[in-house]
Amino acid sequence: MLYVLDLIVFIGIFGILALSLNLEFGFAGLANFGKVAFFLIGAYTYALLSQIGVPFYLCLIAGAMVSAAFGLLISLPALRLRADYLAIAILTFGEILRLIVKSESWIAGGDWGISVSPAIAISGGSHRVDVLVNIGLVYFCLLICFVIAQLLANSPYGRVMRAVREDEMAAEALGKSRARYKAQVLMLGSAMAGIAGGLYAQYLQYVLPGMFMPMVTFTVWIMVLLGGPANNWGAVLGAVLVTLFDRGTNIAKDYLTLPIDPSNLQYILFGALIILVLLYRPQGLLKESPIKTKALESVKRERSVGKGKGS
Amino acid sequence: MAVNWAQVFFNSAITGSLYLIGAVGLTLTYGLSGFPNFAHAEFITLGAYIAYSVAAQFGLGPPLALVVAFLCTGIVGFLCYRGVFQVLAKRGATIIHLMVASIALGFVLRYSIGAAWGWEPLYFATVWPTSSLWSRHDIGSIAVTNLWLWLIFAAVALAVTMHFVLTKTKIGKAIRATSSNPELALASGINIQRVIWITWFLGAGLAAIAGVFRGADTRIWPMTGWDIILPMFAVAILGGIGNFYGAIAAAFIVGLAENFGVVALVALGLSSTYRIGIAFLILIITLIVKPQGLAILFRRG
Amino acid sequence: MAPDPRGHPRAITVGYNLLGIYGASVHLAENMQSRRQFVTGEPLMEEAILRIREVSKHFGGVYAVNGVSLDVKEGGICGLVGPNGSGKSTLFNTILGIHRPDGGNIYFNGNCINCLAPHQIYALGLVNAFQLPRLFYQMSVLDNMLVAARGQQGDKLLNSLFLRRKWQEQEKGLIEEALDILELMELDRWAFSPAGELSGGQRKLLEVARALMAKPTLLLLDEPAAGINPVLGRKMFQKLEDLSRNGTTFFIVEHRLEILFEFASWIYVMDRGKTVVGGEPEDISEEPAFYRAYLGEE
Repeated sequence: MLYVLDLIVFIGIFGILALSLNLEFGFAGLANFGKVAFFLIGAYTYALLSQIGVPFYLCLIAGAMVSAAFGLLISLPALRLRADYLAIAILTFGEILRLIVKSESWIAGGDWGISVSPAIAISGGSHRVDVLVNIGLVYFCLLICFVIAQLLANSPYGRVMRAVREDEMAAEALGKSRARYKAQVLMLGSAMAGIAGGLYAQYLQYVLPGMFMPMVTFTVWIMVLLGGPANNWGAVLGAVLVTLFDRGTNIAKDYLTLPIDPSNLQYILFGALIILVLLYRPQGLLKESPIKTKALESVKRERSVGKGKGS
Repeated sequence: MAVNWAQVFFNSAITGSLYLIGAVGLTLTYGLSGFPNFAHAEFITLGAYIAYSVAAQFGLGPPLALVVAFLCTGIVGFLCYRGVFQVLAKRGATIIHLMVASIALGFVLRYSIGAAWGWEPLYFATVWPTSSLWSRHDIGSIAVTNLWLWLIFAAVALAVTMHFVLTKTKIGKAIRATSSNPELALASGINIQRVIWITWFLGAGLAAIAGVFRGADTRIWPMTGWDIILPMFAVAILGGIGNFYGAIAAAFIVGLAENFGVVALVALGLSSTYRIGIAFLILIITLIVKPQGLAILFRRG
Repeated sequence: MAPDPRGHPRAITVGYNLLGIYGASVHLAENMQSRRQFVTGEPLMEEAILRIREVSKHFGGVYAVNGVSLDVKEGGICGLVGPNGSGKSTLFNTILGIHRPDGGNIYFNGNCINCLAPHQIYALGLVNAFQLPRLFYQMSVLDNMLVAARGQQGDKLLNSLFLRRKWQEQEKGLIEEALDILELMELDRWAFSPAGELSGGQRKLLEVARALMAKPTLLLLDEPAAGINPVLGRKMFQKLEDLSRNGTTFFIVEHRLEILFEFASWIYVMDRGKTVVGGEPEDISEEPAFYRAYLGEE
């Protein structure tokens, strides 16, 4: 039972990460291959602040802001670089961060990391209660991120994001500053990843560099691609499916005897799954969600009514 | 602090040689097919494991094991392109999709290797205990092993052979033509398809050789390739994507930077684990400041 | 460190200045442009909304535009003709900011726009419709139109999240406007279809419609009637003429000379990167330079 609760927390945290990548790549076309870097920044910021006694909500906000600041930093090269160059550059940036945190033990314990106190500690409560509290906290944040992502997607802002994704020069010629939109989206996405990092740190109650390998970035990419880019429900769905699969194979180990060690098999299947998705359903499970605003919907309704009345 | 500069210089040659052999395939396929192939790391790893296996199973010595590794990995590289990337490209996949596919393919290969051989490190010294590769001696003040001398020799041989192939042979000229102008190459009757296939085969094969040397120098484990893939990207991009001659220069620049950088790190009191960070920095700075790398200095090749 | 006499901690002052320097350098980097001023010739025309003086643009040493000077009078339709490859599209792309001119100056309403980014030029009222439509094919036709609208409240981050009522009201009005323009172009039936489903000719029409949606002061149209049936083409030009009477200026590249000459009040002829002659349509059609430049190609 505890295992299921643990699963739920992870789904929540990765749901936030998937939503953030979906915002950046799905809607705005920014291939952020360094998601784990902002996850790391949020987690370490949270950890360090909580160590000096800052209350958890401030730690989370601080984590979001520091991540957002780095997101802004990234947006400068993001303007000038081709998608693949940007991807490699951000990925390398993440690795540099991890290297620094690993090597400089005075920052946060180097390879061995530091421990983090939980956000809301209920004294005398069982471990299960702690996890439930975490679920509440994580899903509260997930809900906020989801609402923000949906509101943005279904607004003129969302329209511009998609325009910049499709043809940034044309969008620019129509008055939309691609620098501004890319910077804003990266900052927002990084802030979300930072919050996810803080939640992660306080749930696991420690942070260490080994938790922030490039694999995390790739896992989030698989979630977005599988669930369907430019669809927030798809991002969450992807997070659910991939996390289930990820942790599910660990359970399978106890119940099934497989010819191949599950920890290897899991990634082989992961990789094969992504290739199959890219080959046969590149738009993902849920298609791109069209822009839905009140005005558009009412006009659509009027038209269909008009047609029905025999135009 | 007394620094053995000759040793540092020699070490640079070692590092540069390894990176050159590994990065040639990466830069050529990136240039031809237009996307960064992250599975290249697994070609490196696979080479090491295949060489180890044939040495363990059939008692083959280093030269034969190298050849077998080259051929087998080359075929794997070709199959990866033919079976996955070519198909995706035909269906209109973008660079990002191809890149993600290469990462996914990397997972499949890496964890298959892990499943087949396990995650415990293996050592070539186990299968070639008496080989002269491991013997150390000193040339002047420089400590060398035969392995390293062979590595440098291999890199030099590669550079010379490739130069000959690219300038004097038909296939080499076809590769150069296709790299610089695919439509023109197609129009002049070159079979682009075959050129691409050969390049992928060759690139993977060379990666395998790099893997054998790397495995012999350190250890063999499923992350062998991934450990050095980012420095190889640094070489590919610094040298100019698709540019063989640029890659030669870049490999040695990165090699020098890394090894002299370590001296600087130690002098500054920083940990030498930052060594790999030097290549990371070169990669990021090149991408941001001059993504075309040194290509401008070198004629198309 | 000595205490700052104004009482702020020194670090904050320094930080502020650094931020300012950072911001200024970003701005500077965005607008860095060689400020070679070419001596302008005498003004060719009064009340010119667009002034181009000796503008040149090259790509790798090949000059696509090589010394273009012209004035576009405010209000009315001005035409630009010339054989393929004479540099007309490059000139347009340079005007709207996609390329920076290598030499010369471009003035729009008196402002020098050489160094501005396309979105800033749009803000001044200069809009463009590309020769090869650059639509947002995955979005609906109506959404394409709405992106172009000017002064939207909802396309700012905080507004879109928190001031929803404000932009929702505005959007209703914008949709009405968009549907009107689409109706003119006979595209209103496809308002909710993805732009990718339109035919080639319809895509051209949407490109023009979208540009009109942007309520331009000056509209650059690159071959708007290409691929459109003649009846619809004339209808479009009729509408452009109506709009021009209301103050919009049009600068149009067109190969359909019969339509252009009927509606335009001034024509410039370009050949091999230079403007060779300019005048009223009746005069141009008798100019030997026009025939040399234009028909020499055929």
